[in-house]
Amino acid sequence: MRHLIFTVLFVFIASLVLGGCGFKDIDKRFFVVATGIDHSDNPNKPFRVTLRLAVTSPKIEPGAGKSQLETIDAKTIAEGVRELKAYVDKELDFGHCKIFMIGEKLARKEMDQAINWMTRRRDIQMIANVTIGHPTAEAILKIQPKNERYPGNTLFLSFGKEGTDSSYTVTEYIFGMRKRRTEKGIDPVLPIIMPENETYRISQAGVLNKKKLIIILSPEETQLYNQITNKYLKSSLGGNVEQDPYVLAVGRIQSRFKIKNNAQGKPVVEMRIKIHGLLEEAPKLVFDKDWASIEQELAKQYSKSVVRLLKKFQRQGVDPIGFGLKYRATHYSGGDKSWQEWQGIYPNIEFDVQTRVTIEGTGLIK
Amino acid sequence: MNRYFYYSFLYVLLINIMMFVPNIIIQNRYSGGISSLLLAIPFGTMLALLFSSSISRFPGKAVPEILFDHYPRWLVVPFMWMLAALYFLGSTIVLVAFSVVINRFYNPDTSSNVVLYLLIATCIYCSTRTTLSLVFALEVLIIINAPLVMFVLGKGIFTSDLDWDAMHTVANYFRMPPNLVSFAAATYIFSGYLNMSILNRALPPNFRLKHRWIIPLVGTLAMFTSIFIPIGFHGTEAVDEYLFIWSITADSMKMEYGFIERVLFLYLILYLNLTLLFTTFGWHKAMEFLKSTSKSHKPHLDPEKIPKINWIICGAFGLIAIIYSGVVNEKQNFSIATVWLIIRLFAEILSVIWICWLAYRLKSKSKFKVKGQSESK
Repeated sequence: MRHLIFTVLFVFIASLVLGGCGFKDIDKRFFVVATGIDHSDNPNKPFRVTLRLAVTSPKIEPGAGKSQLETIDAKTIAEGVRELKAYVDKELDFGHCKIFMIGEKLARKEMDQAINWMTRRRDIQMIANVTIGHPTAEAILKIQPKNERYPGNTLFLSFGKEGTDSSYTVTEYIFGMRKRRTEKGIDPVLPIIMPENETYRISQAGVLNKKKLIIILSPEETQLYNQITNKYLKSSLGGNVEQDPYVLAVGRIQSRFKIKNNAQGKPVVEMRIKIHGLLEEAPKLVFDKDWASIEQELAKQYSKSVVRLLKKFQRQGVDPIGFGLKYRATHYSGGDKSWQEWQGIYPNIEFDVQTRVTIEGTGLIK
Repeated sequence: MNRYFYYSFLYVLLINIMMFVPNIIIQNRYSGGISSLLLAIPFGTMLALLFSSSISRFPGKAVPEILFDHYPRWLVVPFMWMLAALYFLGSTIVLVAFSVVINRFYNPDTSSNVVLYLLIATCIYCSTRTTLSLVFALEVLIIINAPLVMFVLGKGIFTSDLDWDAMHTVANYFRMPPNLVSFAAATYIFSGYLNMSILNRALPPNFRLKHRWIIPLVGTLAMFTSIFIPIGFHGTEAVDEYLFIWSITADSMKMEYGFIERVLFLYLILYLNLTLLFTTFGWHKAMEFLKSTSKSHKPHLDPEKIPKINWIICGAFGLIAIIYSGVVNEKQNFSIATVWLIIRLFAEILSVIWICWLAYRLKSKSKFKVKGQSESK
């Protein structure tokens, strides 16, 4: 009997803890689905924070995803978010925020504070996407796509491999951004989101140095960058052979690079790319032609465009591929020496890119 | 019976993340952390093998009984106190660290004290149980958690986000001379064998440790994964910026097709189990060491009724843990863990040498006896 009384008492005491957690129920929370951080041109309140809040609804159908937008100018991002709490009736929750967008203007100036805020805050996922909004993050977040099922999911389904699998879209997560921002020998690349008739276009990427946005790549260059940094990427490769246009649907692409000294003793980045694919566009009766010469010609043109891209990076002093890190990994010389050596080498290094294209077939017709 | 040894080896090896071992070695990654790791592998293995083979010469006896049999009380009692304090402090560091992690990642709105009190209550109850039932609980928990460990590890290793160049860069620094802090941290991964100092009571008299190659193999694997996977994810520089390095690394993994996308929550459940297990065992060992210093104490593997003294000692442990969490903040907890790891290394070496010496003497004595008997015949 006494035993029983004690057990019951214990259960009661234990249950006291349950209510007192300061925990807020799900219907008392506003889930932030996208956060935009812009530069506001106001020197006293330089940050413009835009939050896209999901309006939860029981309906799940295309177009049913509704959201509410809140904007505020503030001295710091954290203060802005705290102040925004006074504008809404529920607790803000960043736990489901998958998109962090930095306005282009802020990205061109200084984005240290924004990235620090993201990583320091404890409820923000490390696997949220970091992006750049053009012209401003606010303008992008204002767009409410018509076919959205859940509030905000059009934006994050564009990244990664769950939704669309575009070869023009670069994906970068918070942890990767933080890694590249501090790493000696690799620089960050962020996707740039542009508005396009009530929806988004994410076909370009911006290359940053350790501080700010340096170059914006064209869609073609973005695809090239994606091709040489990813392994299995469905993408395309185009070129002209004897005035005939050819397009190869790439099924597998593999690239690896080494940093070596060439015969003259000059440092060289040796990049070898292997591409396998099917022809998607080609002149008539290509089946009967000599494939080897087509492959060689396509490979030559591809290598040339890769070298052009790499030289562009080199001229701007950025290294998004990670040549510097490779050099540090393979040329150990004590302390921080290899990194210092590399900073001297990189501006003058030569690129030797060789591609091997394999045409696996010509599609369904000759 | 071998498996019980390996279970107790395993859970200590897995808890290294909560003991700030990766943080310490990553801090020293350019200044001797890597060479300390390499040095710790043979050293840790040697200690583990020496200790387990020596203590199996004292069947059914734990370290307190062995020492009290051979040495005067004034020498052994302080040593027991020291070991008890060491085990208690170690478990408390982990418990406090984990309550902070829960507060940060699970539910930021809860006070970390509430979480801590709940954890402490559980640990008090569990550590008062008998040694035998704890050994069985150990087996159950390890079997439950093994798939989770495998999953998180697999997710970490087989992802394209892992930067092998960054790992290679850090690995290059194995040429730097090792330092004591990293060495102490690295040897901790192997120190699970010390559970034998109490668990030996539960092992059968004819116990012989089999499959000894598991110790260096699993230890090395655990060591390299717990240090190099974070480096692969966060690069050579950013990796040093994070406080809860493995929680952040687990959060950087993604399960696109899982029920929940974030691996972090799986990881936290896993480490909740492991932390409770570790603290329970730590307090239980500390309790047994303290109890052994009483003159009237008789070790009992599985008493029918839990003695009151168990509740008193563990209750006191709980109270001290609460006070500790109030006095010590996150930063101090980290530096205390660093010092604890170093002191533990020396205490470990001392106990291994001591038990080894006793085992050696016992062996030579019995040889002498056998010789004497045969001669007298």
